[in-house]
Amino acid sequence: MSRYTEKQYRRHMFLIMAVYVALMLLEWPQVRSVSSLPWKIALALAPPIPIIIVIWLMARRVMHSDELEQRLHLTALSVATGMICSLSLVGGFLSAAGVLALDGDILIWIAPVLSIIYGVTHLWLGRRYGNTGCS
Amino acid sequence: MKNSVRELREARAWSQGELAERLDVSRQTVNAIETGKYDPSLPLAFRIAKLFRLSIESIFEPGKD
Repeated sequence: MSRYTEKQYRRHMFLIMAVYVALMLLEWPQVRSVSSLPWKIALALAPPIPIIIVIWLMARRVMHSDELEQRLHLTALSVATGMICSLSLVGGFLSAAGVLALDGDILIWIAPVLSIIYGVTHLWLGRRYGNTGCS
Repeated sequence: MKNSVRELREARAWSQGELAERLDVSRQTVNAIETGKYDPSLPLAFRIAKLFRLSIESIFEPGKD
């Protein structure tokens, strides 16, 4: 089985993210003005689709990784998950106590923040192990 | 853990990329093993030993700890 390289992964990721950006720019602004409920649901659920495909691409990348790469992915994911859990617990308790006013829209930010922490940690770990950015 | 992977690779005039391809790992992993930043698992150590037709203990030797 041939390896799913970082280059292939980045190319696929770029294409999917371009679709996501296009959806957010062209389709998302219409979502609040549409009156039909089925149409509103369809418009609201369109942006998560490319993100779910990206998660599948990430899983595919990890499954095709060698043992060191898997260690880096696992460590980066653990750091990102730990930080998101801590932040959401702090925010949740502050919100429940009435100190902080948070609404449901904040849930949209979980995936991007997790991805950013994961990406930065993975990059830092990769440099520690001598990664030059190509595989 | 110290190892002689770099010397063995260079003796065969292979690049890190070529060795990575033969071992079905990334070039980053080969580099990390050669520089001692990463100790391979037992299955990978066996693959390295098999590729160079040597025993594991003749390629890898334990460090001070």
